[in-house]
Amino acid sequence: MAPRPGHRSIRVDGSGKPFLQGYRCGACGAVVPEPTMACRACADRTPPAPFKSPETGRLWTWTVVQRSYPGIAVPFVSAVVDLDGGLTLKGTVVGVEPAQLRQSLPLRLVYDDAGGGTDKDGAPWIGFHFTVAGEA
Amino acid sequence: MGDVYIQGADMIPFGRYNDRSYFQLGAQAVLGALDDAGLSIRDIGAVYASSCFNAQSMLGQKILKEIGQTGVPCINVSNACASGATAVREAWVAIKAGIYDMVVAVGAEKNPRGMLGGAPFEGPPPEGLFGSESMPAVFAEAGMVHAQKYGTTIEQFAEIAVKNHFHATMNPKAAYRSETPLEDVLASEMIAWPLTKLMCSANVDGAAALVLVSEKKARELGMSRAVRIRASILTSDPYEPRNPMMFDPNSVTRLAAAQAYEMAGLSPQDLDIVELHDCFAVAEILHYENLGLCAEGEGGSLIDSGATRLGGRIPVNVSGGLLSKGHPIGATGVANMVEIVEQLRGEVGARQVRDARIGLAHVLGFGAAAGIHILEHA
Ligand SMILES: [Zn+2]
Repeated sequence: MAPRPGHRSIRVDGSGKPFLQGYRCGACGAVVPEPTMACRACADRTPPAPFKSPETGRLWTWTVVQRSYPGIAVPFVSAVVDLDGGLTLKGTVVGVEPAQLRQSLPLRLVYDDAGGGTDKDGAPWIGFHFTVAGEA
Repeated sequence: MGDVYIQGADMIPFGRYNDRSYFQLGAQAVLGALDDAGLSIRDIGAVYASSCFNAQSMLGQKILKEIGQTGVPCINVSNACASGATAVREAWVAIKAGIYDMVVAVGAEKNPRGMLGGAPFEGPPPEGLFGSESMPAVFAEAGMVHAQKYGTTIEQFAEIAVKNHFHATMNPKAAYRSETPLEDVLASEMIAWPLTKLMCSANVDGAAALVLVSEKKARELGMSRAVRIRASILTSDPYEPRNPMMFDPNSVTRLAAAQAYEMAGLSPQDLDIVELHDCFAVAEILHYENLGLCAEGEGGSLIDSGATRLGGRIPVNVSGGLLSKGHPIGATGVANMVEIVEQLRGEVGARQVRDARIGLAHVLGFGAAAGIHILEHA
């Protein structure tokens, strides 16, 4: 079964390849993560237009989560990442030592299987995480 | 147009009430506030009832079924952690408009247990896969922005908890009344760096109520214990580029603060006491700057200086704050104002701020809303 986006910013193109979609206002340039009926920044009535977002960016802020909801594996690094092109995403940074983390650290988005789960029809999810840019 | 006055104020002790419903807690707070004002529910023209989780259950009507079904309008509001301030503001608007002479604002809550946060989405459960949506993580991330920009340390964030837990030892209505030295705060369980368990607010039940009256009525009832509302402000989050991927506790609070100081014709230097929304220890340092209690970047040195401790230049969260008095979501905004009212009247005993004349109460709702009230002893 074809994989389904497991995050609202993920789309799948005609060849089954995932990409990231953001929305940019033509009047003021504001970038938002979801479609809206008008621009939430300047109230221009032309809806912000979809664009394909770059998958590289920089760390804005983070925390190391040591306790989460019951059943969630810890610890993990929760981060807010400013992607090149203006879209901001929250995500988990994998394979990084907490001591390495600093504002503006270059990061790269990597698609994954979102923990290996499926939807109710058995279709696998497409998820993502971040790694430090320049690493495999 | 006349001013609006607070004539009665009360809160129940915050804690766990396993054998009582949220509306019984609310009814008890309303009776306390009415007694404080020397009034009866029969005198009240409208009830503004706040609960984050139970407003839709007709909270105000349930309260009147406990204490007297007078047939007056009940307006039930939910606005996240700003629910209580929203009820007070709507009460203020109604009196300001000249529609009523005496109304009640009440907040009552029995919080769900456990860690709060998270939003529904059709897909894999996002927690851990796409960072964390838990409230501690969200506020930790906001605190880390401050730490990166200004070098704020975990010890400075922890000192907020030390101070507010100390204050709570003098408040018999606070849920947690033990002092926590810095070593204890730092050694308690790490939840989300830099927040340890003792730097997260106490998830408890509670209720608080105020009686608001018109200037004409305040003069009839006697002004000796009346507290004047100098500003009543509610804002929603203005656009910020990272919102909603990054919760921004700052801009919504700054917008409210600017409007509140303008309405009151006051500046932060005029304040004698502040109750602000310390849902997590990092938030108090952010709000020092958001409310103008210190310059940008100086929140860390403000806590170090002792200025915000009882006896300092501008005592903050002398009630114990959300960290130790407790945070029953829909009651919090009303309870913050009850503390300011009782401080301005000089009725709080050991934790009394000397010569307090003007106070500010602030709350912040996730999603977002900010409420600020500035009060002055009449
Ligand atoms: Zn725009």
